[in-house]
Formats: sequence, C-alpha cells, structure tokens
Amino acid sequence: MDESRWVGARVARIDAEDKVTGRLKFMSDLSFPDMLWGAVLRSAYPHALIKKIDTSKAEAMDGVVAVLTHRDVPGLNGFGIVVPDQPVLCADKVRYMGDAVALVAATTKEGAREALQAIDVEYEPLPVVDDPEEAMLESSPRVHADGNIHHHIKVERGDVDAAFRDAAVVVENTYYTPRQMHAFMETESGVATIDEDGNITVWCGSQHPFRDQLQIARALGMNPRKIQVVSTPAGGAFGGKDEITVQIYLALLALRTGRPVKIVLSREESVVAGMKRHPMKIRMKTAAAADGTLLANEVRVVGDTGAYASLGGPVVNLAIEHSCGVYRMPNVRLEGFCVYTNNGLAGAFRGFGANQVVFALETQIDMIAERLGMDKLEFRRKNALRQGDVAALGHTMTASVGTIATLDAASRCEIWARREELKAMPSAPHKKRGIGIATELHGCGLGVGLPDYGAATIELLPGGRFAVGVSCPEIGQGNTTAFAQMAADSLGCSVGDIVMVSGDSRHTLDSGTSTASRSVYTGGNAIRSAAARMREILADVAAEALGAAREEIAFGRGGVEVRSCPAGAARRLSYREIARIGEGKGRHLKAEGDFIWPVADRGLEGYFGLPHLIYSYITQVALVEVDTLTGEVEVLRAVSIPDPGRAINPAGIEAQSEGGVVMGMGYALMEDTVIEHGITKTPNFSTYIIPTALDAPEIETIIVEEPEPSGPFGAKGIGEAVCVPITPAITNAIHDATGVWITHIPATAERVYMALKEHA
Amino acid sequence: MKEIGPGAMTTISFKVNGGLVEVEVSADDRLIDVLREGLRLTGTKEGCGVGECGACTVLLDGKPVNSCLVPALQVEGREVETVEGLAKDGRLHPLQEAFIEHTAVQCGFCTPGMLMSAAALLRENPDPTREDIARAISGNLCRCTGYHQIMAAIEDAARRIRAAVPETSEAEGAAGTPEARRE
Repeated sequence: MDESRWVGARVARIDAEDKVTGRLKFMSDLSFPDMLWGAVLRSAYPHALIKKIDTSKAEAMDGVVAVLTHRDVPGLNGFGIVVPDQPVLCADKVRYMGDAVALVAATTKEGAREALQAIDVEYEPLPVVDDPEEAMLESSPRVHADGNIHHHIKVERGDVDAAFRDAAVVVENTYYTPRQMHAFMETESGVATIDEDGNITVWCGSQHPFRDQLQIARALGMNPRKIQVVSTPAGGAFGGKDEITVQIYLALLALRTGRPVKIVLSREESVVAGMKRHPMKIRMKTAAAADGTLLANEVRVVGDTGAYASLGGPVVNLAIEHSCGVYRMPNVRLEGFCVYTNNGLAGAFRGFGANQVVFALETQIDMIAERLGMDKLEFRRKNALRQGDVAALGHTMTASVGTIATLDAASRCEIWARREELKAMPSAPHKKRGIGIATELHGCGLGVGLPDYGAATIELLPGGRFAVGVSCPEIGQGNTTAFAQMAADSLGCSVGDIVMVSGDSRHTLDSGTSTASRSVYTGGNAIRSAAARMREILADVAAEALGAAREEIAFGRGGVEVRSCPAGAARRLSYREIARIGEGKGRHLKAEGDFIWPVADRGLEGYFGLPHLIYSYITQVALVEVDTLTGEVEVLRAVSIPDPGRAINPAGIEAQSEGGVVMGMGYALMEDTVIEHGITKTPNFSTYIIPTALDAPEIETIIVEEPEPSGPFGAKGIGEAVCVPITPAITNAIHDATGVWITHIPATAERVYMALKEHA
Repeated sequence: MKEIGPGAMTTISFKVNGGLVEVEVSADDRLIDVLREGLRLTGTKEGCGVGECGACTVLLDGKPVNSCLVPALQVEGREVETVEGLAKDGRLHPLQEAFIEHTAVQCGFCTPGMLMSAAALLRENPDPTREDIARAISGNLCRCTGYHQIMAAIEDAARRIRAAVPETSEAEGAAGTPEARRE
C-alpha cells in the first residue's frame, strides 16, 4: 500500500469535464424557485458620519420585498477573521467607499438596484485618511476610535549597528509596491436558501466554509448548526474570498424574507468593495562583508490595510518573516506597521506579505552582489540557508530546504546559462535585453500560535467507490484532484474510484482554509490518516467474511486478499464486494482522519502566526526586453523552478507555476488599483489591466523535488510561492538590460522611461 | 432587429445550439440574460458586464461576440452557439478534450468563453500559429493560468481536427489507466 501509482502522475483534473462542458454550476449560476435578487447599498463617501438612514421610499417600491439596515442585524454587527471591526451594515460611520449601509431584496435584479437609489442616507463627510505614514501620526484623523495603527511588530536579533559599522557594503533603499487586485473572474456572489425550520444554506464560493459559518452565525445571533455553508466551487479566489464577502448579506436577506436570495456583485462593485494586496512602503538597509557574507538587514514596513483589519496584521507579520528571504542573516532589526486608512480594503492575497518584501530584498541582494563584483546566482547560493541553520527569526530550519536545488537548476536553465548570448541579440537597435534571477522561501501553514489542523472522511459507497471529504475548498488550484490521487494511492484504487466532497460545512469535517499553501499538505495528511483507519475497517470486514485472521488480510489493487488461504475458500474480495457485505450487515463503512501541523521550535513572544517550520522554495529567472524609447518592458521568457517537496500532479504544479508567473509579472509591470482621496480610479478591466495571452512570456517550469518527510508522499504547498520571486526577477532583468534599478512597482512604461532619462 | 418601446415585452425567436427557441424579452435585456436566465444556459459566464473580460463569449452567426454587449433584440432570426453546444452526440469537441488533457482549466470560469473564442478561430483558421491563437483569445482574460496550457490545448485541438481522427494523448479522462499518464 501507499505505492505511488497515481501520485506523481499527470492526472487530468477530476473537475475538468464539468468545466469544459459548462455543466458545473458556480454559485452565481444557481437559481431556486421564488428566488429574490439582493443588492447592497455602498457608502457615498470614503469617510463620513451617518446622520440618518431613511428606507421608507425604497420599501414602498413595487417588487421590493425587504430593505435592511444596521437595525436589522440580529447578532454582532461586525465581521473580520482576526477582529470583527468591519460592520455588516454601518450604523454611525462609513470608512471606505465599499462600506455596506443597507441591503435590498426585490423580485428582479433591476428592481433591487433601483431601490438602492431610493434609500436616503444623510452623511457628514470627514477628512479622508489616505496616506499610511500620515495616518500613523497622533495628529491624524482617526479611522477607528483606537487609533490608526492596527498592528505593530518588532523583531531584533544580534547586533545590527555593529554589523553595519563593520560591513564592506551597505545598501539602503525605499521600495513602493502597488495595491494589486485578485481579479478572480467570478465576482463575489452567491445564493442563500432557508427551509421551513429556519435552517439556512449559504452557497458562496469562498476559502473556508467553517469560518464563514461561524461569522454568519455571529451576525445572525444563530446557532451555527442551523447554517450550512457550501464554498466549492469558486471562480477564482487567490485570498480575495478568504474573508466574508457577501455571505452575511445573503443570510440576512433569506432570514428576513424566508425566500432564496441571490447576490452577484458587478465588477465595479467588486473592485471598490473587495479585498486587495497591501500596498507597502519598505525601507531596507542590508549589509555584507567583503567576501560576500550577508551580515545584517534592517527593515521597516508600513502596510496600508485600508478601512478594516481582516488579515492585515498577519500579512505584515509574514512580510517581516519573509523579509530576510532564503538567507542566513545573523543580525536583524525588523519592524512592521499595519495601518488603517480610507483606502479601500486590503487583506489576504496569494503571497501574503512576501511579494512586497521579497521584491525589496531580492533587489538589495542584486545590488550588493554587483557592488562586490560577484555572480548573482553564486552570491545567493553562498548565503542561502541550509537544513539545520538558524533563520533570521531565530528558529531552526529542521524541515527540508530546497534553495540550493532550485538555484542549481536555475544555473543550468537556458536563459541563465546562455544569458550573455541572449542579451546580445535584442530585436531592435533601440531595445535592450536583460536576464534577472530571484528566489524565495514561503511559509506553509498558519505558523506558530495558530491551531492548524486537518480532517478528512472516507466512506465506502455501495458499488465500491470511495467518497473522500476534505473541506478545504476547490478554488481552481486543483486540490480536489491532488486529494483524489493521494486517496487512490492510500486505498489501492484508481482516481476514478474516488468521489471528492469539498468545501461543505455539512458534509465534511473542518480542515481549515484553502490558503497559506496548506491545503494539499493538510488534506493529504488527513486523508492518509483516514485511509489507515479505513483499511482497518475493511480488513475487519474482509477477515470475518473470508474466515481469515486479520493479519492474513493484504491489500491489493481495488480490494483485499488472503495471504495464505485454505484450499477452496475465496481468496479475494473487491471493494465492491466488501461494500455489499457491509451493507448486508448494516455496517456503515466510514472512517475519519485527522492531522495537526508540526510547528517551528521557537515562536516570537507576543506575536502569533510566525515563524513557520515548513517552507516551499522557488527560484525564478526572467528574460526581458526594454524599449529604451518608450520605457515599455516585455518579458520574453521565464523559467520557474519550484520545490513542492513532491509533485503530486506535475501537470497541476505546472499550471500553478505558469499562472503564478503571469500574476507576478502583472504585479511587476502593470497592475495597480489606484485610489485617490479614497476614490477608486481603476474600477474595471479597461483601467485595471491584467496580462492577456499576448503578454504572457514563454514559460518553462522545472520541478525540483526535495521531499518533506512530514508531508503526504513528501509534498508541501506551492500555491503562493509561484507568484513571488518572478516580480524581482523581472525588475532585476530590467536593471541588467538598462542599468536602472526599479524600486517602485509596477514598472510601467512611464516609470521605466523616466528612470532611463534620469539614469542617462 | 426588432424594435419596441421602453418597458414593453416582445417575443423573439432565434437558434441556440441548433434548436429554435422563442423567448420573451424587453428592450434592455442582453443576450447573456436571455441565455443564462431565460434559457438557463448558465455555461456562459458574466465576469464584467462591459465587454472587457470575454467570459461571456458566444458565437453569433459563427462570430465570437461578448454576449453582455449584445441586445437580445438583435439576435432575432439569427444563430447563437454556446459552450453547451460544443459537444455533439455525447462526444466532447476536440477543443474540450484538449483543454482537459492539457490542464488548460483551473477555476473554469473563463473556460466557456475561451473555448468559444477558440472554436471561432479554428473554423476560420484550421492551422493557426501561436501568435494567431494568442490574438484570438486576447479578449478572454484568465487569472488562474499563464495562458500557455490553453494555447497548447488549442494547438493540439487544431491538429486533431485537421487529422479528423482524434489522437490519443498522454492524459485521458480519469477512467483511464495511470500508466498512460506518466511522464
């Protein structure tokens, strides 16, 4: 058992056929008899007091069934993963343009939107807080009564000042990163239904059905058992559907009207109200000795979390944890602030704070290597953490470490090995080519101090197939296919014999979030635990039926057999036969498995969620061409070298890798949600530009496997790391081409052009 | 195109995936509303509502259009093809097979529109270059993939359609044997 037949194979996604035929129902595709349309009245100001809300005109409109305000929230009028500081419906104050003030349910979509316009809200505008550093001053207007600094973290190790004094090279720069948008193709949307006993089901694509259930229950003042949340499938999420989106609105409207209610956010509403990546200002001062040994890093990060906390604190914590990257850094002074403003909302987004600091750090690394005249790859190799080393935060790297393996592969990849040759052949005389490299490690799981657990169920179905339940939702990343592969190998059957149950608070056990590069590792380990118990049960039933001793039962493909059995007796039972025997005896053949994450040997007093024990590793290389007349940058080729421990499905890893490269390229070159004085200036895809097929570079993915012994079949998560180092690989390539250092992304044509002019 | 006043309803008839349908529409109904809500053909997705993302792409008289930008009244007497019409007689279209085999599908929300743009391309140009393919799907945004698996799938489908005999590939449906799927 546990031989790898399916694990490691290029298995077609189990959900692909339903997706290519259009059969799969996303939540925005669902429709129920007697269903109403819901709509959300958003704030008219980025920062204002609410003086009066009058809904009488809207209520009197034809087709309007309910209009709800803060007075209609039965339970806690707040939500938020860490602190519930975001009102479900604002009572006395609005803090960003996406704040919800009222809800409408009407018989038509148009009717619901018209009713919103008939709601009369009187505001008293307040000064807009839109600069995070100014927001930190005592004199700043307050977004929240307790002050604008939501979270502050400070970590010091070693003697930073002495290290800077003794260093041969010190580089110090300020970096700015944009407010990237998740831009999932399906906006936040869903349906809530309610039965005659008042049980509510919320169908809404998201990343943790059980936490949604809890947050909905709190707001409704209702027992969570009466609320079912179905989160799979989601039409993309990337962290942007980790926090509550429309779930509570849906539940409130269904509760009030007793009818199914559907809400689908328009793209513009999604852009204004939805989550973003934290823009950060990063001051980084890094020192090295003459021989290229890194000595110290001093980092100050200010993250703009917008109006509410959501996961802003943990994002800044992880920025601090990842700010020294893959390197041995004996002396550090790291400080991070998570600050409230009226600039929209920032929270979880693939990479979770690492994208920003790794951009800064990997630029610093290139600068130092260049100052010392060292090869940029060799400089990284020299300073990279090895297994057993102590990391910047003081914990020991006891799990598998893949940096060297990914760097070795990078050194052999074509665009690195032939870089001088490729550089010398630009497509036009006014164009210049460059090659850049960057690397990172990425924490998997929730880190020290947060309960991080997995659970899985396996049930033998009549007919001999297995239903495997893991709650971590399928948000497009392909975890259900990986789960099916691991279950198939754990049970000795084929992927076709596995029926996955995902993202459903009623039909699965809580296995936590589909975030933090954790679901394959967590779900896989939980499946292995459940499968071991399932095999015990199957062996029991088979032993009894075959009249054999338990120890005599061996598992083969698709069933069990007796090792040495008396002549004439049946030697073998298929799972189908065992299912029939179980049924005949009225035995429910079901097993549960569980798993708790191991954590790092040392935490940080006063903080939670860091550091991590298990990291995924990745090196990425980019070949760019810069048009020196326009400043336009084209990424021609990219090589992505992830270390997922073990590739459960290499085709799936390639899919993640390619998608990550293009998302990280968008972050490097084009994407920014512009908010001026609290107003979003890029509310759709004609102003917020994401890469198209014409922008995508040629991408090669080289999978490097450094098995993680604690992982299922040696695997760990890779979903986030794939979009991180590509950004500085691209900006480092721009430097290689032109001599210009990019410290402010996105490196738009305008920014690059101005930098080239200044450089000349 | 039919003409009616604001607020009034009228019946239009047109072909969807080969079958004639009659639906009642108002002046401000869009083709996507008729497909998704009137006919419950929810394979066609709405990602932006203003013709920027391509998720709602369908074929109108064989040409790809953003169905969120087409007034329903405009399709009177015309022919519409959606993702639900790609598979014929229970057999997947070569594009659908290739999308499955090349892992060209992740969250799947852009997939129907992507398939329809690709189908239109292959009818016009059975032997497209990578550049042709990239151009044909450049109006279809995808946030999950890096587009390459999609372009590889379209290339592969074009090959199969040209050969007219479907080839077997390294990754078949989940019911196949894993041996066939190893690298």
